[in-house]
Parts: sequence; C-alpha cells; structure tokens
Amino acid sequence: MNNLQSVWSKRFIHYMNEVQKYMKYVFTGHLAIVMVFVIGSVGYQYSEWLKVVDHDFPAVWLIAIIIGLVLGFSRPVTLLKEPDQVYLLPVESKMFVYFKKALNWTFWSQIGLVAVVYLVSIPLLNAVTDLSTSEIWIGLLLIILLKYCNVQIEFNYRYSNRGNHVLIDRIARILLSILAVQTVLTTGFLVGLIYVILLVAYNFSLKKKVREQPIPYEHFVKLEQNRMMGFYRFANYFTDVPHLRGSIRRRSWLNSVYNFVPFNKRNTQSYLVFRTFVRTDDHFYLWVRLTAITAIIAFFVNIPIVTWIVAAALSFATTIQLKYALLSSSEFRMDMLFPVEENQRNKGVHKLIRLFMIVQAIIVMLCSIGQPLFFVSALVILIISEITFKVSKNPTPVY
Amino acid sequence: MTVLQLKDVTGGYTRKPVIKDLSFAIEKGELVGLIGLNGAGKSTTIKHIIGTLLPQNGEIRLNGVTLKENMDQYRSSFSYIPETPVLYEELTLKEHLELTAMAYGIDEKTLKERSEILLKEFRMEKRLNWFPSHFSKGMRQKVMIMCAFLVNPSLYIIDEPFVGLDPLGIQSLLDQMDEKKHQGASVLMSTHILSTAEKHCDRIILLHEGRVRAQGTMADLRKAFNMPNATLDDLYIAMTKEQDNE
Repeated sequence: MNNLQSVWSKRFIHYMNEVQKYMKYVFTGHLAIVMVFVIGSVGYQYSEWLKVVDHDFPAVWLIAIIIGLVLGFSRPVTLLKEPDQVYLLPVESKMFVYFKKALNWTFWSQIGLVAVVYLVSIPLLNAVTDLSTSEIWIGLLLIILLKYCNVQIEFNYRYSNRGNHVLIDRIARILLSILAVQTVLTTGFLVGLIYVILLVAYNFSLKKKVREQPIPYEHFVKLEQNRMMGFYRFANYFTDVPHLRGSIRRRSWLNSVYNFVPFNKRNTQSYLVFRTFVRTDDHFYLWVRLTAITAIIAFFVNIPIVTWIVAAALSFATTIQLKYALLSSSEFRMDMLFPVEENQRNKGVHKLIRLFMIVQAIIVMLCSIGQPLFFVSALVILIISEITFKVSKNPTPVY
Repeated sequence: MTVLQLKDVTGGYTRKPVIKDLSFAIEKGELVGLIGLNGAGKSTTIKHIIGTLLPQNGEIRLNGVTLKENMDQYRSSFSYIPETPVLYEELTLKEHLELTAMAYGIDEKTLKERSEILLKEFRMEKRLNWFPSHFSKGMRQKVMIMCAFLVNPSLYIIDEPFVGLDPLGIQSLLDQMDEKKHQGASVLMSTHILSTAEKHCDRIILLHEGRVRAQGTMADLRKAFNMPNATLDDLYIAMTKEQDNE
C-alpha cells in the first residue's frame, strides 16, 4: 500500500518538474506579452459592456452553458506509463490507492479553471440578476460539488467502458451540469442539488461495473501520452522541446514555392530546407503566428510608431527563431555527409527566410495601408530581418 | 589499387579510445566483412571512415586523399547505409532520391534511369509520393539502400544491412552488391549474420575490443586459427574464447 503511494509521489514530483521546466519559457515568451495585452483589453471592454448590459440578457443560461461545457472536460490525470501494464499487474487489486491520489490531483488541478470562469461572471450576475451575495457564493459551492462528481464519473466511465463511447457520457454530464447551474442560480440550492444526486447515482452504478473489470491500462496510458504530447506541443510554441518531433503535413498548395529551388548541386541544401520549413508544422506555424500578430496589430492600432516597433520586434523574433530551428542539429542527418560546400545550408536558410520575410512584409504593409507612411513597416521588417540574420551567431552543430 | 586505407587509427567518442591502432585496407572490387561482438568497435570504425568522428591518431585515406585534404572528393567517393535508417520525415521517397542526386551531382536524366531500375528491384515503384511515416522498418531501409546505390561511388559502407529486410529484400541487396562489385566498386559491410558474410565476403576482418584480431580470406583465417574446415561461426567463437583465456 505504501509502495503505491510512493510510486504516485515520485511520478508526481517528476511530472511537476517537467511542467515547471517548460512553463517558465511559456511565461517569458513573446506570446505571454501578447496575452497580457489581450486580457487587459478584453477585461476593459467587459467592464464597459457591464455598464450598458440589458436586464433581459440571458446571463444565467450563458454562464450555465459555459460552466457546463468546462465541467464536461474532466479528463483523469493518472500519470500512468507504458511499462505499468506489465510491472503494476501484480498489485492490480491495490491500485485504488493510486487512483485515489490521481483523482484528487485531477480535481485540484482542474477546479481552478471552472472557479475562475465563475468568478469572472459574478459581476455579470450582479448586473443582470437580483441574486444576493450569499446566493452567488452558494453557486460556487455547487460548482465545486459538480466538478468533484464530473471527475469521478469521467474516470469510472472510461474505466468501465475501456475508453469507448466517451462522448455519450460527456454529453450527459454537460447537460446535467448546465441544468444544475441554471437551477441553482434561479430556483435555489436545494433544487439544484437534485441534479447532483442524479450524478452521484450515475457514478454509483458505474462504480459497480468498475469493480468487475481489470484496469484498462492501454486506454489510460494512451490518454496520458496524448495529454503530455499536447502539453509539449504547447510548450514548443515558446521553446524547443527536444523529444518532440514536429508533425508533418504536405501542404501541397505551397508546392509552387519549391520552384525557387531549381535542380542543381548548388541548391541541395535549399531543396531540403524549403521542404523542411513548409511541411514541418512547428516551423511553418511559427512564421504564420508571428506574421498574423504583426498584421493584426498593424490593422487595428492606428499609431504608426507602435506598428513599426511591433513589426521590428516580431521580424527579429521570426528571423532568429527560424534561423535556430533550421540550423541547429542534435541528430545525425544524411546531408551531413553530402559532398557539398560547408556553408550551403546557411545560405539555403538565408534564402528561405528572406523569401518568407518578404511575404510577411507585404502582408503587414497591406494591413497598414490606411496609415500614413504605411510602407515603412514593410521596410522595417526587411531591414531588421537581414541584420538579425547577419549579426546573430550561428548555432554550433552538436553532431 | 587500394580504395580505402586505414593506418594506425585510434579514436572514440571521448578521450578514452574505443578503437586502437586499427590498420586495414580495401582493394578495388573487394567485398570485405567487418565482424565483431557488440561493442567491439564496428560502428565506431565506420563513423571514423565516414568522417562524423575524427581519429585521435593515425589517418584514413579514401582514393588517396584524407577528409582534411579534399573534403569534396573524399565525400563523393563513398555512400553509407546506416544501421538504423535515417530519413527525412518531411520528404517523400521521390524527393529522397532527388535530394541525393542533387548532392552528388547526378543529372536528372541519369537520376531517372538509375532510380527506375532500383525502384523496380526493391519493389517500391508505387510508393514514390509517400512520406516515411507510412513506411515499415524494412521499407525505410530500402529507401536508404536505393539512395546509396543511386550514387554509384567507389566504396559502399553498409552497417548491419540485413536487419529488418525481408528475404526478397536481402536477395536484392546482395544482387546489387554483386553487380557493383563486378563493375569495380568496393564494399565494407559490418554484420552479425556470419553465414551470409562467409558466403559473400572476399575477405573478413575480425574486430575484438577495438583491435583487428585477424583478417584475410576464409582460408587465411582457418590457417591462422589452425582449424581446417571450420565455419566463420566456429572461428568466431574460438576467437572470443581464446581472448577470455588470456
């Protein structure tokens, strides 16, 4: 028994370290700055809107639906790993100790999101309904109860159905949760509690099925792998995650780009670099994202100097990140043996970045066309990109 | 004519050498087997020859030049098939062949001619526009083999070629090696499959703990170990036992 508890603790510490390692990049990356601005402006507009919101506005239904949807996604965080299917088999009957810890963590790590959603909607409730303060806080209490039920049920459902037909269960829980929140905010806590009791009964019937079955390791391990993959992909927007292979897409609508690289020994590395950039999601979406941010700011912010500064900063970010992504190498690649000039890859990457920064400049220029001196932002992007590429150090090859 | 010449090569990943004072040569048109236990230094030797590791001591000459003297000529002189296939996940089979052709200065017409024959031989014609993620281990290996044979160099360096290939694939590879040999190319092949090595190799180099323990034709080896009629398996086991007794 103690053993399984320590297995959980060890996994948990390792998991938290992994998450922290990448989260610090997330909170220092360029998107974090954009997020601050976005949250700030959305918050401001929300408070302005509250001043004029209509009393007929269906606030309770809206809040209930949003919270119901958030509650519906209560994926268990089990931290199970592939070898567990073999090594934990002998302790199968004692695994409830492990899962209890896992579900506790699932509950506490996910309660924050739904609580924040509710807290943010409190000013709206105050503006539109006549609910008293205590009634509003009782709403929060019910949401916590609902979250607990949702976590337990989703786990037991996945367990007893071995991961099949998850959507049916999710829809049922979402509907019950929406009705519960709606009722508690209109009719009162005790009536709302009926839905909680329904959920508890549902959970009880699932638990009976769980007891008759072996642990569906395959499903839980897959779920866990997908979750971590999702996290790594997210972290990969901000920093380089070493064990993440970017997914590949053909994007054949961009095939004409390859015409810039004719069949010739001098173009060997360009041939490779152009395809690597276009088809690797990580590289391509990095460019798309940074181009989109500059374009949106150029379009909405009608202060030329702000556009220029943003264009310069993001031109620098695009160039330097693409340069490092395409020039650094931690693995052996066959082109390292090619009988071609040593700096051919560098030239190829430069050619590619120049081409795509011209496209970025054109897009941004079109978006700022209403401003005076609209062409300056395009010039800024091109000049900063060229300087960045020339002045920045080349990554040293590991291999 | 000597194609590859290693002279007193010492080297490894760190200061502590894995291979010690290694000397051997491969002549034109020879198929040489590099045989040794796990950790004997086969892969390290190959990494030194292809130039991803540089020797701490000694020199390696390929067609008369070292990597430092003429990098272009050195690298054009060989093609390499690694133990685990190293493919570009973002390139299709066709593009792997095109990229290789570009790198080795093969024109488009020759590329077409050579790749048609190879694709047919390895039964991959229908997969030209596939990405490697849809390939099995054996198919990935075939892509590497086709790229290597497309180049038509004077030396083929092949690391554990038979792992993961189906019997037809193995036969195609052996046929290709034979054909190239007759055209005057040399092959250095490291393997664990001793019966195949015995049957196809002109000469064998037995590597043990980073040193050449014995080398020569099967007849030479039988004589050296004083075991007439022995198979390569017998000789190999005798060698490891002898080493244990020392």
